[in-house]
Amino acid sequence: MAKKQLFSLSVNGEEVDVASPSDATLLETLREDLRVLSPKRGCNQGVCGACTVLVDGVPVRSCLTLTALCEGHDIGTVDGMGEDPILATLQKHMVEKGGVQCGFCTGGMLMSARNLLAETPRPSRDTVKSALSGNICRCTGYRTIVDAVCGAAEELAQ
Amino acid sequence: MTQILQPETLDEALAVLAAEDEAMPMSGGATLVAMKNARLVEPTHLVSLDRIAGLRGIATLPDGRIRIGAMTRHFETASSALLTGSLSVLRQAAGKIANRVVRNMGTMGGSVANADPAADYLPALACCDAVLTIARAGGERELSILDYVEDWYETALEEGEVITAFTLPAPEESPSAYRKIARVTGDFATASCAMALTADGQGIRVAIGACGPGPLRDPEAEQALIGKLDDPDAVTALAERLVAMADPIDDVRGTADYRLALIPRLVRQGLDDLKKDLR
Repeated sequence: MAKKQLFSLSVNGEEVDVASPSDATLLETLREDLRVLSPKRGCNQGVCGACTVLVDGVPVRSCLTLTALCEGHDIGTVDGMGEDPILATLQKHMVEKGGVQCGFCTGGMLMSARNLLAETPRPSRDTVKSALSGNICRCTGYRTIVDAVCGAAEELAQ
Repeated sequence: MTQILQPETLDEALAVLAAEDEAMPMSGGATLVAMKNARLVEPTHLVSLDRIAGLRGIATLPDGRIRIGAMTRHFETASSALLTGSLSVLRQAAGKIANRVVRNMGTMGGSVANADPAADYLPALACCDAVLTIARAGGERELSILDYVEDWYETALEEGEVITAFTLPAPEESPSAYRKIARVTGDFATASCAMALTADGQGIRVAIGACGPGPLRDPEAEQALIGKLDDPDAVTALAERLVAMADPIDDVRGTADYRLALIPRLVRQGLDDLKKDLR
C-alpha cells in the first residue's frame, strides 16, 4: 500500500485536507480520495482529454499533474461550476444538440470549450474544432459537440 | 514510491540530482508523468523545477539576443511578441505542439530534454542556431543545438544535468516558417521543416525534423545555395543533401520512404512560401 501524505487543496472553492499517495496524480486524488468524479480516467497518458480540469483557471490534464504541485492553487471541475454562465450555456447546448452520448468525454470537453469561449467570444467553427482537438470522443459524436459549442458561443455573444 | 521534491533554488535541485542516482528532474510533466503512469520510469525522486525563480519566461538580453527559460510553457512561446521575423519559426512550432491543454503544461526544456525525434522544437531551434545552457551542481556549460542530439533519444545531457535556458540570436526581419506534415492536428510530425531566409534574402537556414534521431541541417549546403534561391536545381541539390543525411524509420505515422519523399517537397514549398512573404 502506497504511503499517504496529507495535502491541503482548494477544490471547487472549498479548502480540503486529503490523504493521498505522496506521488499521486491530481486525477487519482480527485477521484479516489475526494470522490470528485467528473474528471474521467481514460488513457492516463494525457492523450484523451477526459481528465481535463482547471488549475487557477487554466485547463490542464489532471492525469499528468502531480497532487503535490497543486497545493496553493485553485482546482476547478465541472462539479463545482454550476454558477458559471459560460459553462451553463455550454451544458444547455450540449443537451439540446445531442452533444452527449455515453458522456465519458463530456466533462473534459466542457473544460476545453469553456476555456475557448472565455478567451475567444466568437470563434469560427474551425477554431472550435482546433480547441477541442485534444479531447477524444470514442462515440465519435464530434459534429454535435462542435454544434453545441458554436451554438453556445452565438448565444453568449448576444 | 516516488518522492516529490519542490526546491526553490536551482542549486538545491542540482544538489539532489547529483546526490541521488535515481532522481529525475521534472518540468511540465506532460511526458514524464505519462511515462511514470505507464511504469516506464520509476524514479526515487522527482525534482520539480516549477518553483525555481528565473527559469520561466522569454526576454531580450542587453545585446539583442533572446533568452527563453527552460520552464517556459508552449503556449507562452506560441504567443510571444519577441519571437519575430527570423525567430517566428519557433513561435509557429510551439503553436503546433499537441493541443491547447498540453501547451498549457509542456515546457521547452522538457520537450528538448526528452528529445523525441518527431517533436516540434528540435528542428525549429536548429533553424534558429539556438544555444542551450546546461547546469549541473557546481557549474554550467553552453552547447549548440546541432551538437545536442547524439542518437535516438540520446542527447549530450548527462546524469545530474538540467537544461536551464535557450539563447537565440537577435531576431532579423527576414521571414521564417515552420511546416509540419502530421496525420491529424496535434499529432507528432511525420516530417517537419523549419526554414528562415537570411537577413539579406540571399540564403536560407533549413532544418528537417522527424527524419532521423535529431534535426537535419547542412550549413555547408546552405552556403552553396547563397544567391541561387531562384535556381530550382540548386534548391534540389540542398534538398538532396538533407535526404542523404536522413535516417528515418517506418512507424505508425509513415514509412521511411514516404518521409524521404517529403523532404524535398517540404524544402521547395517552404522556400516558395518564404519568398512570397518577402514580396
